[in-house]
Amino acid sequence: MIFEERQIEKNNFSSRAILLFGLVILSFVMILIKVFSLQISGYSDYQLAALKNKNYTVPVQALRGEIFDRNGVALVRNDPTFDLITRPNLIADIDNFINEIQGVIFLSEKEILNFKKAYQKKAFANKELVLKKDLTDEEIARFEVRSFNFLHAFIGKRYRRITDYPTIFSHVLGYTTRSENDFTTMPDIPRSHWRDAELTYAHGLIAGQTGLEQVYDNYLKGKHGSKVYEMNARGQFVKPLSIVNPFKGADLYTHLDIKAQKSAAKFIGNRKGAVVAIDLESGGINVLYSSPSYSINKLSNGVSERELKDLINDINKPFFNRALQGRYPPASTIKPAIGMYGLSSSIVDWNFKLQDPGFFTLPETGRIFRGWREGGHGKVDMLKAILVSSNTYFFSLAYQADIDALSKHLSSLGFGKKACADCFNEDPAFVPTPEWKYGIMNAGWVKGDTVNLGVGQGYLVATPIQLANYAAILATKGKFFEPSIVTSGIIKKSLNIWDDKKFSNLDWKKMHEAMLGVIESDAGTARSIRSLKKFQVAGKSGTAELVSLDSKEAYQDIRTSELLRDHSIIIAFGPMPNPRYAVSVVIENGESGGAVAGPVAIEVLKSLVNE
Amino acid sequence: MNKQFQKIYLDPYLFFSIFLISSLGLFFLFSASNGDIGSVIKQLVYVIIGLALMVLISQPDPDVFRRLSGAFLLFSFLLMGITYFFGPEINGAQRWVRIGSISFQSSELMKLAVPIFLASFLFNKQLPIQRKEIMLSLLMVFFCFFLVYRQPDLGTALIVACSGLFVLFLSGLSWSFIGGSFILLVISSPFIWNILLQPFQRQRIATYFNPDSDPFGASWNIIQSKVAIGSGGLFGKGFGEGSQTQLNFLPETETDFIFSVIGEEFGFLGVLLLISIYLFILLRCFYLALSARDRFCRLVIGGLSLTFAANLIINLCMVVGLLPVVGMPLPFISKGGSSLMSLFIAFGIIMSMGTHKKFLPQ
Repeated sequence: MIFEERQIEKNNFSSRAILLFGLVILSFVMILIKVFSLQISGYSDYQLAALKNKNYTVPVQALRGEIFDRNGVALVRNDPTFDLITRPNLIADIDNFINEIQGVIFLSEKEILNFKKAYQKKAFANKELVLKKDLTDEEIARFEVRSFNFLHAFIGKRYRRITDYPTIFSHVLGYTTRSENDFTTMPDIPRSHWRDAELTYAHGLIAGQTGLEQVYDNYLKGKHGSKVYEMNARGQFVKPLSIVNPFKGADLYTHLDIKAQKSAAKFIGNRKGAVVAIDLESGGINVLYSSPSYSINKLSNGVSERELKDLINDINKPFFNRALQGRYPPASTIKPAIGMYGLSSSIVDWNFKLQDPGFFTLPETGRIFRGWREGGHGKVDMLKAILVSSNTYFFSLAYQADIDALSKHLSSLGFGKKACADCFNEDPAFVPTPEWKYGIMNAGWVKGDTVNLGVGQGYLVATPIQLANYAAILATKGKFFEPSIVTSGIIKKSLNIWDDKKFSNLDWKKMHEAMLGVIESDAGTARSIRSLKKFQVAGKSGTAELVSLDSKEAYQDIRTSELLRDHSIIIAFGPMPNPRYAVSVVIENGESGGAVAGPVAIEVLKSLVNE
Repeated sequence: MNKQFQKIYLDPYLFFSIFLISSLGLFFLFSASNGDIGSVIKQLVYVIIGLALMVLISQPDPDVFRRLSGAFLLFSFLLMGITYFFGPEINGAQRWVRIGSISFQSSELMKLAVPIFLASFLFNKQLPIQRKEIMLSLLMVFFCFFLVYRQPDLGTALIVACSGLFVLFLSGLSWSFIGGSFILLVISSPFIWNILLQPFQRQRIATYFNPDSDPFGASWNIIQSKVAIGSGGLFGKGFGEGSQTQLNFLPETETDFIFSVIGEEFGFLGVLLLISIYLFILLRCFYLALSARDRFCRLVIGGLSLTFAANLIINLCMVVGLLPVVGMPLPFISKGGSSLMSLFIAFGIIMSMGTHKKFLPQ
């Protein structure tokens, strides 16, 4: 090969080598640009993605707030319970481990089976596993003494939602149930992580289902925390990284009074009915009791399906909160309200007298409306009409009433709308109007309907809470607070004023006098309860007819069927002359108002005034 | 040449840069294997043997390699044959040949034998090379490609083909021929797609074009690799601190994806350093090729160093998401004795070619 050719060949090689090595350098530049775009421009995105890969966040359940009565006694509290928790990843021989534990803590076949079924998965993921729930004190003591033998098991504390008054406060406190969606408040934690949540309650995720637990759920439930674990690609926990502690929910302070609630339950006994008592100074509800009742402890901490079914199917409907949802005709307890209407609309005055023959005849049709006493009460004025509960007087008064104005008047006294500020599922019941009747029955309003309204029969229905609220308005002479269960720290309330220019202070005074006479005078219909207490009480009793009957004899016939017997109702307030509490009592199928519902009302008032 | 190296044929620049990068490799491997000291010691033994082998191989005169090139190629074929008939099947592929207690990936030898043989075949031919020689060369390259391809090992097969084509190109393949071949390649691409590629390879390419299609399946590797590199940032998370690596989100950390480990734990600065060393090695090879004593040496240095570059670039492009996933180790750093040994042998040959000078009469 001659030199020249060699030089040409070499130059040729050089140019091609330069081309290829140039391409290599170009590739390096491309790669560096790409790496730059990943590490520098895209850094924050990729750093986030890397964190998302390894950080496994689980929710940590918060403790619910507790509920207290007006004396600071806990009505619902968080009761600790102890579970035996294991770390399966550290246990070498599972059978040996169970044998050793069994020497200290009794394990059922089912508990062993469940443990064996789950431990491998938990061991792989380095997660904890509950072996036995709800240890007895004895088991805890035995375990603690030998705990050095069990390095891979420990006792964990969890809570139950417990009340020490499981049946008397069920309706008002309500119960909690398992809630599947409670962690939705933490959108950063994917739903699939919930199964690894650290649960504070033995029953798991809970939320208020009824009563105060439901109404104040957001207030009680607190703020869940979260715990971040480092997790590898195979789904194994490596180590905990950080924790945001949960906040316990706020405690709830109520006006409820354990002693008075107990009296209500005791004196209603196993009859069906309801009691509501209101503190006039604040509008606070001291007593809210519905009978029959049930145990909320079981419902809050896991009730068997069968027990729940039995409760639901119970013929006495224990879940039905009669105090807030029971619709009862107010019967004669409405008479003071009708009297107020008669006075303010100048149909009658305190001096007006009427001959009561024991019945009222509707002039238009000749239909007879009977009083409760054969032969009537003779000459009656307003005072006597309330005292002796003259039907004729109020039939006649109502006959002259304008139904629209009367409906409006009844509404102003709280009928037909929710009375309570924070009650669960309160039924507003209703005040009838011609429009209402036409809408529901496709029939026009007749005079007879208004006349029936005069004695609280017919279409008007009210709940015990409305009756108590009405009693409170009467007791405070129209200066009342909206009833509420919790103290006013949480809900803002202002003084409500019932005012009518034509209803003077003197009228109020006389009304109180009349209602006081119902119980305290010899002629009063509820005089039988007079001797049960040392202080004076004003009130008005009533007997709500479930069947419209024309004669006493006919009633004796249906009396044999208990469910058709009249309801016994009373509203009362005391101690007079400066009343502090108003109360309403309804006893279903209890018949005579004063004698049956009366003693319950008196006992509750006695508990409240500490007599 | 320095007096000190009068007797020993060694390029100090190449030697020290290779020594440096393979030492760094041990360090990276320790982290990539989650601190498995056993792996690192095994690799250390390979590195020591490899460095010694490299020095040893750089001693003979290039003419020795030229004369032995045919025998070397035949020896490679022999190993391929042993692999085919006796090699153990691992993950559905037969790539290994077992001699005593030592296993060796026989295709690694092909990467060396093909360019050396071609260089010696073309070294005394008339220029520009004639059609007959081109056809013979191409036939040889394709045959070698096919042998490796059917193991199956498409990645290495392509590298083997490249190693031959680089030599052909450097020896002056005409541009019209190159253009024609390229057009032919484009036309036959549907054929390549359907016949040559296995379903899993087609899947990888599809994944490359649509990485979000199956984030937990086919795209997992590349997504996790990008997250690892990207989350390293400028300075990296620190040695042994890469969460993607240490918590096993990143696959194949010791082999194909070890660059992602470096990116995650040492950041952009670490990557720059690493790439600088590689670039230095390549530029040194470029210089040696240009100043080599004859055509054979030039072609061998060029062919072997460009094969090394292709190997490196394909691995880097794969882990950063510029190319579909192909099994290709990061030279001098990925765990694995076979590829390491063939690299040291290759650089031993390069050094021999670069350091032996023949002073021809001017």
